[in-house]
Amino acid sequence: MEINIQNVSMSYPNGKQALKNLNLDLRAPSLIGLLGPNGAGKTTLMKLLVTALMPTEGSILVDGQPLDSAERLLKSKLGYLPQDFGLFDELTVTQFLDYMAALKGLRRPKAEIRKVILAVNLEEKAKAKIRTLSGGQRQRVGIAQALLGAPPFLIFDEPTVGLDPEERIHFRNLFSRTAEDRLVLLSTHIIEDVQSVCDQIIVIHHGQILFAGTPEKLIQSASGHVGVFWEKDAAKEQGLRITARVNTSEGLIRCRAVADRLPAYVQPEEPTLEDAYLYLISGEVAE
Amino acid sequence: MNTLRLLPLELGRLLKSRLTRIIVLLTVCSPIAGLILYKPASASTMLSVYLANPAIAGGVAGGILFALLTVFEWDRVGRSRTDALIDAAVSPLIMALTRLLAVLAAAALTLGLTMLVWLPVSVKFIGSVFDGADYVLAYLIFMGLALPLSILAAACAYQFTRRTDLTLVLYAAFAALSLTVWADDWQLCWLNPCVWALSDDFSNYRIFRSAAYMRLTWLAALSGIWTISYLCIRQYGKGLPTSFLHSARKLYRPFLALLLLACSVTAYAAQPLVDDSNPDLTAMTFYEVPYAEGLICTGRSAQVFPDTSAGTVSGTATFHFQNTSGQEQAAAFGINPGYDVSSVQANGTNTPFSVSSYQEYNEAMLEVSIPSEGQVDLTIEYGGFPQESSGMASMQGGAEISTEYLCLENAELSPRLLNVLPDENMYPTVIEITLPSSMTVIPFGTSEAQVVAEHNDGTKTWRYESNSTGGILYAGDYIREDIEAGGITIELYYGRRHQSVMEAAGAADAVKAVVDYCTEHYGPLSFGTGGTLKLIQSRVTGGGYATNGASLLDEADFTADNLSDTGKGGAAGEVMIHELVHQWWGLGNMFDTADGTTPWSAEGLTVYTTYRIVKELYGQSYAQEHYIEQWRQAADDYYLNFYVRNPEYLESLPTDKQLEITNSLAYVRQYCEMPLKILKAEQLVGGEEAMDQILYNLFNRELDLTYPYLTYQDFLDACGLTEEELNLDENISL
Repeated sequence: MEINIQNVSMSYPNGKQALKNLNLDLRAPSLIGLLGPNGAGKTTLMKLLVTALMPTEGSILVDGQPLDSAERLLKSKLGYLPQDFGLFDELTVTQFLDYMAALKGLRRPKAEIRKVILAVNLEEKAKAKIRTLSGGQRQRVGIAQALLGAPPFLIFDEPTVGLDPEERIHFRNLFSRTAEDRLVLLSTHIIEDVQSVCDQIIVIHHGQILFAGTPEKLIQSASGHVGVFWEKDAAKEQGLRITARVNTSEGLIRCRAVADRLPAYVQPEEPTLEDAYLYLISGEVAE
Repeated sequence: MNTLRLLPLELGRLLKSRLTRIIVLLTVCSPIAGLILYKPASASTMLSVYLANPAIAGGVAGGILFALLTVFEWDRVGRSRTDALIDAAVSPLIMALTRLLAVLAAAALTLGLTMLVWLPVSVKFIGSVFDGADYVLAYLIFMGLALPLSILAAACAYQFTRRTDLTLVLYAAFAALSLTVWADDWQLCWLNPCVWALSDDFSNYRIFRSAAYMRLTWLAALSGIWTISYLCIRQYGKGLPTSFLHSARKLYRPFLALLLLACSVTAYAAQPLVDDSNPDLTAMTFYEVPYAEGLICTGRSAQVFPDTSAGTVSGTATFHFQNTSGQEQAAAFGINPGYDVSSVQANGTNTPFSVSSYQEYNEAMLEVSIPSEGQVDLTIEYGGFPQESSGMASMQGGAEISTEYLCLENAELSPRLLNVLPDENMYPTVIEITLPSSMTVIPFGTSEAQVVAEHNDGTKTWRYESNSTGGILYAGDYIREDIEAGGITIELYYGRRHQSVMEAAGAADAVKAVVDYCTEHYGPLSFGTGGTLKLIQSRVTGGGYATNGASLLDEADFTADNLSDTGKGGAAGEVMIHELVHQWWGLGNMFDTADGTTPWSAEGLTVYTTYRIVKELYGQSYAQEHYIEQWRQAADDYYLNFYVRNPEYLESLPTDKQLEITNSLAYVRQYCEMPLKILKAEQLVGGEEAMDQILYNLFNRELDLTYPYLTYQDFLDACGLTEEELNLDENISL
């Protein structure tokens, strides 16, 4: 599975330009983390990839075919979990998955449904009406429907919202296993999730791609720009962005920050992915 | 993605919804509204009351309910964001079509369920005249087709507007138009078809055809509009115009929409059921055509072949002319506007003809060139689907043609000569008609039809002679009883389906009793000359007519419900007597019916005469108990009613209660108060014999053709009494 995004721009009817001249190549197998602040254009990009929107400029190729002629092909290979979605409350979990399986054209859905119910830990709720499920359980039904039929291209928009930490870890690992032979695009605000499982990262901001590459490369880009200091030692300097502030048992406050140039009182540290992301974004903001 | 493969899935989901189940349940129950609230079919036949009204009400209520379900279902996928998942798997266009088909399928299932539930109820209420085909067709056409129209209308509105509130307003306006402004326009009243009556005793294919035609016209129109709205389904985050342009790139889609719209417009404009007669009923253009000079008609004949399956007629009419003018002449004929004339030959040679587009009184004018030869045999080949008059478009059904019944009147039977005088023998006419062997042919008049040939295909050819330019012919699956009464032979014809009801009511005995009594007391029926009178039970007509040798009995007067109306008689046989007495009191223009609430009507004299006949048959005490005491009780109860004594409080009641009381006013006045007044008059004029003489004189009075009605003043004058003298005390004691 290969998706090529070529010079894609997207403007909404109200004039807001959500994406500006995007160029990307996405190839399976890969688990790609899509990062960016709110309003950066992540959801617009995902909607373009599921044909909920059409680019105002540029083209998207699916396995070499233009998307507007390969819409049916794309949908047959797509599993999608939107950030905001609804379910048919009158159906049971199994009935709903059966419904979605039929929409996706699965020929032998029963085994597939059993498999995804098992994958999302919903065996006990398989016959429960959807209206009786908790928020986390509904989210898991959403993930399950995306996994139906083992589609070669999966898009998850904030999939771990509403899940408890244990479930988050479970799904992180599930996405990782899924991406062994497929293309998975994971949009999330939880950097930890991305750091744990993604082999590629795309950072998008103001509709433009700030970074596309491996997590290691992103981390490396922040090397020498991350440090810690005691708040009492800090001077009021420009360009220092505090990323963490910890109250210690001695009553002192320890801060972690990123900056283009670290002041002398800041002790350099090894950057994390979150540091690197914030460094990248803060640099963009500073510009 | 195959829409048909998705359909069972979407239907299954829909049927699991609680709202859908509520809608289905309410729709199944909705025909009950036709029994108590909404009764558009005004005729009193059992099928009108217990089949047409429930089916139409079911269609109206079910249509509205399914429109609400449609709006809810179309709105919920967007409102609940389920579309975010579905649209990623299937195109919104495919899903919209699937959803539409699923709601339509749910409506079809609901209709089937409704028919199952109401079948035993209808069988019980309708009784011996229940007919399975009528039942199925009434529910399919009157109720069933309302549901897809409503669903399409609501779906269209939503797909255009994508707003629930606007959709509901648009649908409500569309439905309200049908129920109000369009209610009397048979082609426009899409939700509530113009059905005023269903026949119990004969078939109803014509009115079913009419309602189905209207519904299919609307189905094409709404399908076309729906297809356009389908192209407007928003896609790719675009607005209506861009989505439309994108969806319309597949050219077969807009082409299909236009084709459907064109079909509906054509079906509307070229409807074959109703003519385009001049609505001005004073127009007499066809009667003002000057007579052809030197041309006389010496005789005519027609061979008529109704197709009882298709409801069509074909025929060959031959006219014999004598042309003494030595010149070509133009003969004019009235012909049913639904008929085509395929050829006209004069003495075996094609002759020019034209059919006017102008129509008057359910006839178009056929003009034929008559050659200058002295003797001309003119042969006209004609045929088609007889159209009904546009003036009566909201009361269709009269042009019924089936194996159970047909009535061909004048130009429906054969072209009617307009402008050629007869020779001294008038217009000697020979009609031959070929019909299924189960049908009996009854010429309306003194003629008697005879079978002249039996054919291998199960048909018979009947032949009769008459003497007119037109003529009316009834045929149907009739039972005939010959009854000697009043010095003449009464041929009583009634539908086979009605046999058990007529036998239970003692129809033959009632006819004999009435004819004997009324002939002796009031004189013979003016139509019974010649020693024979045909009493023909007609398909429900909302009225009747009579001619020499024949008179109609409207089937609506002989329903099981009517025959058990205790206001008209103590038993079914006595109600039969009541209805037959109307042959003396109430036929034609005898009473002015403009005001339905006036105490003086055909009912007063008819109820009084019924009482007199029953008294003669069963004795004074029986008549006293079942008639006079009943009248008194009803009148007493009525005048003792609080609201009648204090009418100022009546206005404070709800409208339906007010109507109930005022309706009982008309009933009591006509069926109880007036007979009591006539009875009082009988005492004041000197007894029964004197009253009989007065009534004899009134029945045989010389008519003023400009105002032929028998008025209350005429009656009072004949009795030598004043209105005040016949006033009843509040506590009536006679």
